[in-house]
Amino acid sequence: MASSSATRSRDVKLQGVPASPGIAVGRVLRLDERGRHQFYYIGVSAAQARMEVRRLREAPEEARNQLREIKVRLAEELGYEHSFILDAHLLMLEDARLIHELENEIRTRRVNAEWAVRSVADRAITVYKQVSDPYLRERTSDLEDVATRLLTILSGHDKFDLSKLDQDVIIVAKNIWPSTVAELDFGHVLGFATNTGGLTAHSAIIARSLRIPAVVGLHDVTRLAKTGNLIVVDGAAGEVILRPTKSVLKAYIEKRERENSYRVRDDAETAQAAETIDGVRMTLRANVELPTEIESLRLFGAEGIGLYRSEFLFLNRLPELPGEDEQYEVYRKLAEATGEPGANIRVFDLGGDKLTLAGFEAEQNPALGLRAMRLSLKAEYIFRTQLRAVLRANLHGRLRVVLPLISTITELREAKRIIADVKQELADAQVEHNAHLPIGVMIEVPAAALMADVFAREADFLSVGTNDLIQYILAVDRANENVAHLYQPLHPAILRTIAHLVRVAEAAQVPLELCGEMAADPLQAIALIGLGIRTLSLVPGSIPLVKNAIRSVEFDRVRSLMKEAMKLTSSTEVEELLARELPQQAPRFFAAWSSPA
Amino acid sequence: MQERKVTISNRLGLHARAAAQLVRRASQFNSSVELLRQDTGETADGKSILSVLLLAAACETCLIIKTEGDDEERAVNALAELVEQKFGEEISDGVF
Repeated sequence: MASSSATRSRDVKLQGVPASPGIAVGRVLRLDERGRHQFYYIGVSAAQARMEVRRLREAPEEARNQLREIKVRLAEELGYEHSFILDAHLLMLEDARLIHELENEIRTRRVNAEWAVRSVADRAITVYKQVSDPYLRERTSDLEDVATRLLTILSGHDKFDLSKLDQDVIIVAKNIWPSTVAELDFGHVLGFATNTGGLTAHSAIIARSLRIPAVVGLHDVTRLAKTGNLIVVDGAAGEVILRPTKSVLKAYIEKRERENSYRVRDDAETAQAAETIDGVRMTLRANVELPTEIESLRLFGAEGIGLYRSEFLFLNRLPELPGEDEQYEVYRKLAEATGEPGANIRVFDLGGDKLTLAGFEAEQNPALGLRAMRLSLKAEYIFRTQLRAVLRANLHGRLRVVLPLISTITELREAKRIIADVKQELADAQVEHNAHLPIGVMIEVPAAALMADVFAREADFLSVGTNDLIQYILAVDRANENVAHLYQPLHPAILRTIAHLVRVAEAAQVPLELCGEMAADPLQAIALIGLGIRTLSLVPGSIPLVKNAIRSVEFDRVRSLMKEAMKLTSSTEVEELLARELPQQAPRFFAAWSSPA
Repeated sequence: MQERKVTISNRLGLHARAAAQLVRRASQFNSSVELLRQDTGETADGKSILSVLLLAAACETCLIIKTEGDDEERAVNALAELVEQKFGEEISDGVF
């Protein structure tokens, strides 16, 4: 079972950015960065140059055929919005000026076709990099992708037909280009591990959407891993273990089995309520990024959408804004698919570490800068367009809007004023819409948590976003490996804050929801329930697991347990208490859940 | 030769999607299509996406569309219309 590789080092553990949860165990398929290092300069004669030109002319045609096929597959598998990126690639390959320049390069400099492609692409990339517009500068990755495709076709050594893999693999690469992701045969891809990339990289998003475990930002995994090596990808922990020893491998296989056994559910179990043994009913809603995830709502038994991350409409296409009609179509789909429980549309959470909008300068400290609702209030036309689309789509179901990163009441008031104004405008223009649109405030900033009673008076509901709330309360960037150990969801400061929010919401009789990664971790989810949270929103794939945890506990006992936990002084103490008590309280679930080494 | 002065009025200017539409439309005509950016004097081949993107024409930029060929009039009209209709992006809705 162990790798027969000559490399002796065992259990090479790498820490990256958790991009898509789940555990994958398998063999590495390392994708080399196609192009860059494989192509050499060959001087040719005039006669040979003519042949090179002929060879070159066939390549864009072949590349276009490949892209058209990929585009169809991509549109079928992931929805139309993903195929947009390939349109730009197709147009570049049809660009007469580019083709002319390539042919000219071969004729005048007497070089082989590959070298011509490489040098013309490098020149164009250099020009693009000098453009002041940040969006144009980003187009270099598209240019590189197109050049690489041409080079691969020209050299005729396509190493793998990625759409016809004959065995299960874990893809290891420097970076996964959008078109490579599109080509992959997902039936055989168990996971991804890449050197570069963040949470919002295209490949990370697609991995989450397809529920394939992925870790990105590993820096040098391509140097350490070789095709055929055994590898473990722990997508939730953001860890990769290369060439694991037998005992480590066994522990991870067991962990994977355990997770899978909770993941694969039959219809009867999916239909069961998220109810504790003593009959307290919880609501489990879905976090959704892509409209194509809608199918998974029924599959995993989600009660509507607790968080639709609308900024993913921008995927790969900034700075063009999705137009009103395009947004309307997406929101309408969400409204129709969620029926009675409905869907919370979170206003574009752009800026900061997420996607950036052209026209706004990069900031020194983006986490504290112009992002989310601050950006929507400043670039009001974006907010208005989104509201018009939501209000119109609201005719087809029960939508609500959630305002991200609110820190003062004046922001809520300003947003409400604009919403009222847009409603009036639609009414005046006799545009059909449903004006009954509850407004929620995301509680993500400590100031908003402390002032929650004030927000509860003026908002229709509150939604706690734990990812950001933890980051801001503890002043820790969880993606920063130097301080990642200080990112502690069970820190007493977090527990106190959540308990406070529960009290405030109860007193004001305002619905309170919670979304964030805490909700998808069974142990932390139970802690949240013990604190009085009733509605959790999480990635759809984790709903069966969390539901199972809920169905295994007694609410009264969990509440008492959290009362004890609130008296503790550190995250470690809280974790120890829960790890000790929950397996006793709920052996059916937690005895098997106790974490591996 | 036909010339028409237009102002880019879609909020985000001639970015990928708009540029792609313009190039597609321009390519439907036999006439050559040149775009001249008035403020900088840069020109672009209207049938080349790379060339059009490199103009980096933001909102409010004045462009002169020049067409030349047997269908130059139809071409200049079609392209001016595309720009004036903000490339079909219904973003601003004239709300301001």
